[in-house]
This record gives sequence, C-alpha cells and structure tokens, in this order.
Amino acid sequence: MCAVTESSHKLSTIELSVPSELGYEKVVRDTIAAFARRLGFDNERIDDLKTAIGEACINAIEHGNGGVPDQRISVSCICEDERLTVEVRDRGVKPYDGHAAVPSIEQKLQGIAPLRGMGLMLIAQLVDEADFTNHPAGGNLFRLSLYRRRDAAHP
Amino acid sequence: MPVAHGQVNKSMTLSNSDAETPDRIVELRLPSRLGYEKVAMDAAASLARRMGFNGDRVEALRTALAEAVTNAIEHGNERDSAMKVLVVLIVRPDELVVSVADQGLKPLDHDQTTHIPNIEETLHKSDKGGWGIWLIRELMDEVEFSTAPSGGNQVRMVIHLEQ
Repeated sequence: MCAVTESSHKLSTIELSVPSELGYEKVVRDTIAAFARRLGFDNERIDDLKTAIGEACINAIEHGNGGVPDQRISVSCICEDERLTVEVRDRGVKPYDGHAAVPSIEQKLQGIAPLRGMGLMLIAQLVDEADFTNHPAGGNLFRLSLYRRRDAAHP
Repeated sequence: MPVAHGQVNKSMTLSNSDAETPDRIVELRLPSRLGYEKVAMDAAASLARRMGFNGDRVEALRTALAEAVTNAIEHGNERDSAMKVLVVLIVRPDELVVSVADQGLKPLDHDQTTHIPNIEETLHKSDKGGWGIWLIRELMDEVEFSTAPSGGNQVRMVIHLEQ
C-alpha cells in the first residue's frame, strides 16, 4: 500500500494513551514510528523521532508524573503538510521548571552536575522545534515538531 | 536526577501472576483511513513482544488486528476519515485483550459474525473478500462481537500468553 497517497490539505491525527510506567515509552515510539512511516517520512527522520519521543515520554513518566504508576501519559500526533507534531502530556505531578539552569557537558564530566538529565538537550538536537507549555486542563505539555526534510525548518 | 525507585522499575512483562495486579491499558485512536491499521498493528506487536509472546503469536495478533481495524474502517465507519477507530489494549499477567470499536454507521448483524465462508464458492466469485471474521476466529483464543459503549460495532479479541 502506498504511503503518501493522502492529499496534503488533510490533517492526520492519531491519539495514544499509555500507563505512566517505564517500558511503555517503547510502545509509544513504535506506534508513532508506524504513523510517520505511513506518512512517508524517511528512516533517518523516523529514528530521530523515535529517540526524541522516548526521551520525552521518560521525562513525563519520571518527572511530570513523578514516578506515580497510576498516572497516564497522553500523546497526540498531528501531521499537516510537511510537519509532524507530537504532543506529550503528563498530569503535572511535578510542573516543569523552565528556569533551572541546564548544566553543561563539561560540568557533568567533572562530576559537578548529575550525569543524567540530557534528554531535553538530545531532543533539541534531533527535532526541529521542541518546547514546554502548560496544558489548559493542567499538566505539562511537551510539544515537538519535525519536518519531512531535515533542512525544511530553516529555509 | 531523582528517580522513584521501586515504583518505576517494575517490569511491564508482569511476570508475577498476582491476581491483584491491576490491568495496564493502552488506548489508541485512529482516523478511518486505510493504511492506519498498520499503526494499530505495530502498537499491538510492540506491546505483545514486550509481554513475551513469541514471533508466531505476534504475527497472528498483527493479522487479526489488521482484519478487525480494516473492517472498522471500511464497513463500520464506511471510510469516513473523520470517524475514529478506537483500539484498546489491556495487558494482563497471562493474556492480552484487544478491543476494536468503530462508530457504527453500518451495524454488523449477527449472521455476519458467525458465517463461515466457503472456499469453493469464493473461488468462483470475483469478490474474494469476506474472510476477515473467520480469520480472526482462527487466530485468536477468544473472540466476541458486541456493541461498543459509543454505539458502534466492537470486537474483543483475547490472546493467551502460554508459559
């Protein structure tokens, strides 16, 4: 079956909700990869997307939902024309503190800063846009977008 | 980075057979457009692999789900892409329950869910379709057709984890 048969004006959306438990980020990754493949994204972009989504979900599980297993994570994927946007929403047990200074790799290597905590840095390198907002109904909403072609975001 | 130990390290394969283990639920909403059944197949396969189903069982699940979602798109929702197909996956220690619900523009009658097609007749017809429900029954351990809470058609399929 052909992947890119949809006319470009059509908006394609899928929604996914999973338990807030480590391991389920892989189900989210595989599902969104299938969606991107169906929309005709190439494998390299899909790999970037999978890594970024895995990190975003782990952040939501560990931080946003504070490791509370009864919480859930909601993920929406919207594709319009050349851009695929993924929104990861947690329940905001712990709101994102956007003002915390991000430690540098040097600080981490010197042992001044924790070795973990590189997820957002990694995501920023892989996708074209990524930011946090507050969801109107509460919780953190992390949104990332990527264009079909790597250079399309900065023409 | 603080990690809540003990809470998040639980394996999602749920290897303990504690009856009180709560169900883990994954919900997926798809547009009624052919091709999207592949998204459901990959989601379910990902979950099933991690639960410990072997390759053959994962393939059986993929095929059954492809038929169920395709039916929902083509028949239940009559290919109206604004209509949604809801796929719910329930992870239990010893089984995976998969429900597929459409918005029921075209309700499925009982005869269609129990009819066994005849291969000889099919060979002489130009339309070779109509084998989906039979196939689902062959591949899954439990199959049940009902009306979804939304009013649409719903098929509930169960695949047992043999250990």
